[in-house]
Amino acid sequence: MVISPVHYIVAPLLAAFAIPLLSKVYKDAARVVPGIVLFYNMIISFVLMKEVSEKGFISEVIAGWQAPWGINLVLTPFTAFLATMVSVLGFAIWLYGFRFKRTLKGGVVKYYEILQMMMIAGSIGVIITGDIFNMFVFIEIVGITAYSLTAFYRERNGAEAGFKYLFIGSLASSFLLLAILIIYTQTGTLNMAQIAERMADVPLSMKFISLIFFLVALGIEAEMFPLNGWAPDAYSQAPSPTSATFAAVVSVAGVYALVRVVFTLFDVAGVHNYLIVMGFVTMLVAEIAAISQKDLKRMLAYSSVGQVGLVLIAFGIGSELAVFGAIFLMLNHAVIKSLLFMTGSYFIYNTDDKRLVAMNGIHKKLPYVSALFSIAAFAIVGFPPFSGFWSKFYILTSAADKEMIYLIVGILLVTIIELVYYLRTVGRIYFAKEEVEAAEHKPSKNALVAMTLLTAFIIVIGIYPDLITDYLHNAAMSLLDKANYIQEVLK
Amino acid sequence: MNEFQEIFIKYKDLITLAVYGSAIMLIVIGLYAALVKKHLVKIVIGLSIMEAGVNLLFVAVGYIQNGTAPIFSPGNENSAAKMVDPVPQALVLTAIVIGFAVTALALSLVIRLYKHHHTANIDQIKSLKW
Repeated sequence: MVISPVHYIVAPLLAAFAIPLLSKVYKDAARVVPGIVLFYNMIISFVLMKEVSEKGFISEVIAGWQAPWGINLVLTPFTAFLATMVSVLGFAIWLYGFRFKRTLKGGVVKYYEILQMMMIAGSIGVIITGDIFNMFVFIEIVGITAYSLTAFYRERNGAEAGFKYLFIGSLASSFLLLAILIIYTQTGTLNMAQIAERMADVPLSMKFISLIFFLVALGIEAEMFPLNGWAPDAYSQAPSPTSATFAAVVSVAGVYALVRVVFTLFDVAGVHNYLIVMGFVTMLVAEIAAISQKDLKRMLAYSSVGQVGLVLIAFGIGSELAVFGAIFLMLNHAVIKSLLFMTGSYFIYNTDDKRLVAMNGIHKKLPYVSALFSIAAFAIVGFPPFSGFWSKFYILTSAADKEMIYLIVGILLVTIIELVYYLRTVGRIYFAKEEVEAAEHKPSKNALVAMTLLTAFIIVIGIYPDLITDYLHNAAMSLLDKANYIQEVLK
Repeated sequence: MNEFQEIFIKYKDLITLAVYGSAIMLIVIGLYAALVKKHLVKIVIGLSIMEAGVNLLFVAVGYIQNGTAPIFSPGNENSAAKMVDPVPQALVLTAIVIGFAVTALALSLVIRLYKHHHTANIDQIKSLKW
C-alpha cells in the first residue's frame, strides 16, 4: 500500500464515524481504535519524514485537481517534522490516558476518545495543508473538539471555560474568514503558494488589513497576548490528557499557522519586530501571572503561554539559527509540557485538590512520578543536562548574533521568574511537610510507560542534541526558503 | 427583459452598495451584540449575526451583474465570463455548516451553564478569573 499524507486525515475521520458502530460489537472499541489510528499516524509520519528528508518535498494532490485549483497537502521538512511530533505526542497521550478514563461511567468515554482523536487529526491537518481555506476548516475542527473537551466534565466548571473558549474562538474564526476573503479578492486564489507568488501585486493597505485580521485570528489560536484569556481556564478545566494535548498539539498547530502566514504569505516589513514585541509581552505577562497562581494546572497553563511567547520571539528574530531554535523549542515545549501535565495530574488525582498547597511532600506517596515531574521542571527552565537547555541556548545565541542585548536580558529575567516558581513547586514536593491524607491512586502501567518514554527523550536529546539538529536545520531552511516552496507546489 | 431587471440595471451601483453595506453592518451589529450584551443567548445570537454578515460578504464578492450559474451545459459552453464565481459560494456553504456546529455547541453550553449557575447573565457567572 502506498503511504500518502492523505492518510493522516482519512484514517481518523473513518475511525471517528466507525467507533459508534464498532462499540456495538466490541465494548472497548472506543478506547482501542483511537490508539490504533494514532499509532498508524505515527508510523506513516515516520515513513513520510524519511521520504521528505530524501526528496526534500512532497506535494500531494487531492482528487486529481492540480495545485492552484484543488486542495493540496504539502510536506516540507518543517511540516513533516511538526506532523511527526504531533503524531508521536498524540499517541503518547493516548497511551497515558488509556486507563485514566476507565473511572468514567457510561458511554461518556466514547465521546472523549473520538473528540481527542479528531483534535489531534485536525492539528495535523492545519500543519500539512497547502490551502488557506482548508486551513480554516481544520482550525475549526480543532476548535470545536477543543471547546467540547474543555466542557467535558459536567461536575466541574467546564462549561464556563468552554463557553469562554468558544466565544473567543468563533470571533477568531469570523476574523479569519474576513482575512481569507480579502486575500481571495486581491489575489484570486486560495492556494498558499500562489497567494505568496501574487502577494507582491497586492496594494499595501489591503495587505495590512488582511494581515491584521490574520494576526488577531491566529493569535487567538496561538495564545498570543492579549488574546489568550481563554487558555488558563481551558487548560485547567479540561481532562488532564486534554490539557497535555492543548499544550503539545493545539498550540503547536496555532503557532504553525501564524508562522506560515507571516513567513510565506506576506512580505510586509516590520511584522517580525511585531512578533518579537508581542512574544516578549506574552512571555512576560504569562510568567508573572504564573508565579501568582495557587492552582497547579493554571500555573502550568500560564507557563505554557509563556513558552509560546518565547517561540514567537525566536520566529520574530527570523535568522536561520533563530528559526532553528524556535522549532527546537516547539519540540521541547510539546514534550516537556505534556510530561508536566501528565505527572502533575497524578498529583491532583492523588490529593483530589488542584491547589499547589496540596502537593506538599507528595514524593513519599509517588516517588517515581515526582522524580519525572522534577526532571521536566528543570528541563523546561533550561538546566544544562536536559533538552530545554539547547533550545534556549540557540535562541539566545541568535539574539546575540543580531546584537539584541535588551532582548537577551529580558529573556534571562523572565527565565529567573520561571525558575522561581518551578523550583518552588519542586521544593514543595520534596521538602514541605505532608498535610493531607487522601486516597492513594498508583499510576497505571501504560501511563508510566508514556511518561518514562518522554523523560527518556528529554535526557537523550539533552545529552546528544546532534541526533536531531541536522534535521531541524533542514526544517528551518525549508521554512525560510519561500521561493522554493512556491516553485515546488506550483510545479 | 422584464420590469425587475430594468430596475436592477438602473440602480446597479446602489444595490451593490446596499449588499456590501448590509454585510458590513451585520458584522458590526453582531460584534456589538457579542461584546456588549450580558445575556448568554444574546451573545450567541450576536456571534451568529456576525457569521451571517461574513457569509453575505463572501457571496457579494462572487456576484456578477446578470451572471449565470457556474455550470457548463449544452448551449452554454463558452459562457465562462458571464458565470458567477463558484469558489466563494463553496466557501460559504462550508462556513455555514461550521457556523451551525459552533452555534449548536454554544447553545448546549449555555444550557449547561444555566443549569449550573441558575442564571444566564454573564456578570453573575465568574467563578473563573485571571
